[in-house]
This record gives sequence, C-alpha cells and structure tokens, in this order.
Amino acid sequence: MDFEVTYTEEQESFRTEVRAWMEANVPRDLAKRPRTPEENLQNYLLRRELGRKLGEKGWNYPLAPRQYGGGGLNVDHTIILEEEADRLDLSLPPYYDSGGRLGGASILVWGSDEQKERFLPPIYKGEVRTWQLLTEPGAGSDLAGVQTLAVRDGDDYVINGQKIFVGSDNGADRIWMIACTDQHGARHENVSWFMLDANLPGITVQPMELMGTGGEGGTDSGEKNTVYFDNVRVPAIALVGGENNGWRVASTHLELEHGGGGRLGRNRLWERLITYCKTTLRDGKPLTEHQDVRDMLAEIYTKGEVTRLFGLRNFWLTYARQPKSYEGPQLSYHRKMAGLWMTGAILEMLGPAALTTDEDWGSPDGFLESQQRNGIIAVHPGGTADIQRVSMARRIGIGRAARELAGTVH
Amino acid sequence: MDLALTEEQQLLKNTVRSFMEREAPKQTLVALQGSERGLEPGMWETAARVGWLGMLIPDEYGGSGGSLTDAAVLFEELGRGPLPGPFFSSAVLGALTVLEAGTEEQKRQLLPGVALGQTVLSVAVTDPNNSWGPVGVTMTPSRRGEAYLLNGAKTFVPDAVAATHVIVVVRTGAGLEDVSLLVVDTSARGVRTRLLPGFIGWQGELMLDDVELPASALLGGQENGGWTALESALEKATPLLCAYQVGGCQAVFELSVLYSQTRIQFGQAIGRFQRVQDHIIRLTNHLDSARWTTNEALWKLDSGRPARASVHMAKAVSSEAYLEACNAAHEVHAGIGSSQEYGLVKHTQMSRTLFHVLGDPKWHKRRMADALDW
Repeated sequence: MDFEVTYTEEQESFRTEVRAWMEANVPRDLAKRPRTPEENLQNYLLRRELGRKLGEKGWNYPLAPRQYGGGGLNVDHTIILEEEADRLDLSLPPYYDSGGRLGGASILVWGSDEQKERFLPPIYKGEVRTWQLLTEPGAGSDLAGVQTLAVRDGDDYVINGQKIFVGSDNGADRIWMIACTDQHGARHENVSWFMLDANLPGITVQPMELMGTGGEGGTDSGEKNTVYFDNVRVPAIALVGGENNGWRVASTHLELEHGGGGRLGRNRLWERLITYCKTTLRDGKPLTEHQDVRDMLAEIYTKGEVTRLFGLRNFWLTYARQPKSYEGPQLSYHRKMAGLWMTGAILEMLGPAALTTDEDWGSPDGFLESQQRNGIIAVHPGGTADIQRVSMARRIGIGRAARELAGTVH
Repeated sequence: MDLALTEEQQLLKNTVRSFMEREAPKQTLVALQGSERGLEPGMWETAARVGWLGMLIPDEYGGSGGSLTDAAVLFEELGRGPLPGPFFSSAVLGALTVLEAGTEEQKRQLLPGVALGQTVLSVAVTDPNNSWGPVGVTMTPSRRGEAYLLNGAKTFVPDAVAATHVIVVVRTGAGLEDVSLLVVDTSARGVRTRLLPGFIGWQGELMLDDVELPASALLGGQENGGWTALESALEKATPLLCAYQVGGCQAVFELSVLYSQTRIQFGQAIGRFQRVQDHIIRLTNHLDSARWTTNEALWKLDSGRPARASVHMAKAVSSEAYLEACNAAHEVHAGIGSSQEYGLVKHTQMSRTLFHVLGDPKWHKRRMADALDW
C-alpha cells in the first residue's frame, strides 16, 4: 500500500508553473472572511474574476473535458492544482458553485451534444455561477416527492412552485432543478431535470434567515435563499436526460454530494484549533499543557484523521476505478457526525470564547464561533446524516430485499 | 497512491483464509476457548512449516524477512477467527524485541527456534500495577555474583502459559527509562505460570521465586538500554495486533450482516428495521476506522516514515472499534449472540482482552498527543 500521492518530475514542474501563476493572479487576502456586506460583494467579484482567469487556462474545472471548456487534465495535474489552491485556502472553483460542480457531472452523462455545448462551457470557464435547486418545503429527505410542477406547453415548459435552502449570497446566473412532470406518475418516474437561466421572468429570490450556512466542503455559501417560480417559461432544451428521467440524472450528482468522489486536502479547522490552543493561556499556561484539553484534542484529532482517511480511500476508489459500495455515504455520515460532536467538544474545552466573534475575546476571524453554528448546520445539506445511514444500509445489503449498487462518479 | 494489497499479499490472504476454514472452523475455535494454550499442536506446526512464525525474522536468523504489511495480512485473517495462540506474542512482539535488543549471539540463539515454532516467546511488561509505560516497571533483580536473581510477579502476561521463554522487563536503575530485558526460560527452577481465569483470554501470571539467571540472559548485554529497544519493538508490533483486531471486526461485521438478512421477526428480515441497521452502521464505521488507521500506520513503518503518532492512534482506534463492534453485534443478535456455540462470544471476549494489551485507548491517545508535539 502507498498512502502518498507521489509526484513525477513533470508534476513538480507543473506545480512551479501553477504556483507562480497563483502568486501573480490571486489577490492578497482573498481567503480572509469579509466583515461587511460591501467587503463581501467585493470579495465575491474578485473571486469570480479569478475564476474567469482560471477558466481561460482550464484550471477552474481541471478534470472537465477540454471540448466543453474544462481543463481536460488528468488526475495528476488536478491534484497539483487543488493542492496549490488549498495552500491559499481556496477551492476550485474559487467561489461557491455547487450547481456547476454537481450539475456539470450530470450534464456530461445525460445531456445531448447540443446541451453539453450550450450549458457546460460557461460553467467550466467561470463565466456563470450556478445554483442547485432540490429541496422544497414538502420535500427534504424525501426528495423524490418534489411538487414544483413543470408542464409542457408547446416548445416550452412552464414551472410553478417553491425551492428552499438554495445557493448563496450574491446571486446566480444559472440554476438547475428537479421538478415534477407527471403528477399522477409513479414515484421516481415522474420528475425531470432542468437547467435554466436564473434571471427569467417569474423567478424571485428571497434570502432565508438561518443560524449558519455551512455546507459540505468547498466554499462557504454565506447565505441560503427561497426561490419562487411563478409561471416561469423555459425552452424545452432546458430538459436534460428526457422527461420523467430526472431521478436518474440526479443520482449522478447525489452520489458526488454524498462523498462518493472522495477528497484530498488539509483540515483547516484543525490547524487553526491547535494553533489557538498552543497560543492561548489558561491559568498562566498554554491550553495545550492542560491534561483535559490534551485529552479532548486527541479525540478531535482522531476523528479528523479518520475522516481524512475515509476521504483518501474514496478518492483512491474513484480514481483507481475500484468498485464502491457504502463508502460515499459513510464519509458523509462520519464527517457530519464528527462535526456535530465537535461543537460540544470545543465548547466544553474552550468555553464561551468559542461562541463570540469578538476580536479581543473570541478566536481569530471567529473561526470557532463559525464552527459552533456550522457544525450543526452541516448535518443536513446533501442528505441528512440519517439519510446517509439509510443509503449505507441499502448498499451493505440489509435495507432492501435487493442490494443496491453505488452510483457512478465520472 | 495505491491502497490495494499486492498480488502476493492477496495470495497470502487467500492461503490463510483457506487454512482457517480447514483447520480452525467455528467448532474448533469454540472448543479452544477452554484450552490453556489456545491452540492445537498441529496448527502451530503447520504455521511454522509454512513460514508464518518467521515472517518478521530476517533470513539470516531463519525467517523470511517480510514487511509489516505482509504480516498484517496474516494477522487480519487470524483475527477473523479469532484464532488464539501465541502467534503475536512469539512471532511478532517476542521476535521483534529480540531483534531490537539482542546481541548477535542472542539473535542466533533465539530467533531460528521462534521461526520453527520450537521456541515460544512472550514479553512480560506489566507489573501488578498494570501500567504500560516505563514508570510502571518496578520488578528489580538482585545480583548473586554475575547472575541475576528475580523475585515477584508479572501480571497479565499474554500467552504466559504457552511460552517457553518470557522476556521479563525489569528495573535496573533510578532513571525513568532505566529498564532492562531478561530472558527467562519458563522451565527453569522457580518459574511458575498460571492462566488467569474468567472473561479474560490467555493472559497469565508469571511468578518468579528466586529464579537465577546467567548474565547472558540480559538482552543486549548491557543494562538500562531495554526501554528504547522495547519501545522500538512495540512501535512495529502494535499495528499487527491492530490488524488482528481489524480481522475480528470484519468477522463480527459479516456475522451481523448475515444474521440481519436471515433472522425473521414481525414477518420480515430484521435488517429491514432501521434500529437494527443503525447497529450495523455503527459497526461498519468502527471497522473501517480501525482498518484505515492501521493500514496507514503499517505503511508509514514499512516506508521508513515517522510513525509513532499513527501507531498510537491505530491502537486506540482499533481497540475501541473491536469492543464497540462486538457491542453492536450483540445488539443485532440479542439472545442467540450470547450462546458460546454461536461464535460471537469468542470475539467479545477477545475484544475485551485486547483492549488493554499493549495499553488501552486512553493511554495511547496521550502518547499520540506527546508524539505530535502539542
């Protein structure tokens, strides 16, 4: 076994090129948390600009096919790009774009040539930011029960309904969604998958007031919204994968969202936490010299390491094209539950300093306060922890009569 | 990156598995529960003949000099039984301790016998205070001329009754790590071993009553170097005990999945109930946590990377995992799980026993924190 990604000379020279480019093109302090709405918008615009520059080089979506505006790069080069972005506390793309990341995968599998040519290049080149619209007030864990209705009308579909927990701050250019296209059809065979312009008449976006917005990995979204559809007319080309085939189309990205792709990367929270504990004094000595703190840090570290190893394993399974079963939802479940548990562990270990963003009495950038909120929030998006357990059970072969195969990650 | 076993390792895995199915079926393993040594002589001879007892011993001392990951493949399969017997005590911790601490002459004297199965080693670390660090080593030899004189008890000595020789860890100086290793022939005068009764498995008491040892019994020939050598041996040996625990978790997982698919209550397989599924998912997560922390520690050791923190983590995680896996399995199985004949109990008993062997999870997490330099 070899747990280390080893680099060829060619990769190392690519790294040199990437690092030099990033140094020249990534604005200073881009990863620093904005403090005001103005700073936040400014930061978003800078990130989008960086995304377009990365897109020109094929580095915004390095693994995506070159034919459709991606980098067409292999895993070896993608790893270098992700590591170099990670070094600067960034992800690729450098802005919240879960719609592009997940939707792109589905379009590649299910889209017609025309749809691929039309929808994919703007995403991969960083010209548009894309949101995913799945959850509804009446369809959360039971996603197949969506009631937003898309009715065929001539060459168009007309959409009516409501989606919640959508997107991010600062708006989107494109959206994709699943909607019911046959109110009397059988479950899983009555939904369709649409990719559309986010600014069509009849679409209204309203921010939700939430405790936090932490999603699963990637860039924090900053905000979640309710999106209303009032007789929104979309051309039929928006339909990807055929009418009433939307559940299959969605399965492609749901597997990705459930951790099926795996992950390499630093544990930024841990790095900040251990630095904080080494440099913060209690009773005249650093927190790391108190036995109770050390014991709790050991528990936190161990859970983080197991999460890392599950991510590494899934990454390897994906890229070595090994058969997968329950590993995707297992990673997701483990990460979610570790994060939730950690809110209590950190609160117990560090006290009220973990609850304030105050510059004097809280943690740098309020990173602990953010974890207190987002460790709870992150249990839900992309399938709740309980749903991950349901998926695991099916794939282990105990949930349903027939063992269910894992989805495919392309 | 490549997280797969090599072809040779896969072949070894298959070989051990078919050996286990043939030589150590469930009835045999259940029957071994009451035995003093934990194995039938035939098994031990077979293990020696096919080279399993010499896997970590270099060629020049009669072994085959395999990697730790190779040996882990063997130990995971043994753990599936779990097949008791002094495999780990002798072929791993015993052999590695002699390799780390012994003089050339001592290695030549002891290791070929270990590989052949004629010499069975065990290492007695814990005194009656049962602590795994050097501070807990209190048994102190006195001198009679050149010879050492040993008195007192070592407790919770793994496979003490099966061992032909026990490496006894003793205090020879006032400094924390002033510890030495003495090889005691268990057939010598004044040596008594006794199996500890109860839920514990194959741990013994070693009673030493005026046992006289020649100076040549001191591993390495010099006093006070024992702890460094032992620590080094423990670092390499521990992940193999973890692999054994991983094998145990894997077996308990398979047992539980099968039972939940076939046990019918309320008109359906109990695996359809989410409460039952939750036990199995908890079990799965413990199994994989143990497996991957162990695999990474093995890889670090085999590739010469600093591994101490990973080894401590693997032992903490694997010990908790095996214990929790058995707990979850008992919840899945309910009544039938407690039947000796069914086959879960032997794992439960082993998971409790191994929880403390080489140090418990709390002890290892604290050593991990030290190794990470917090």
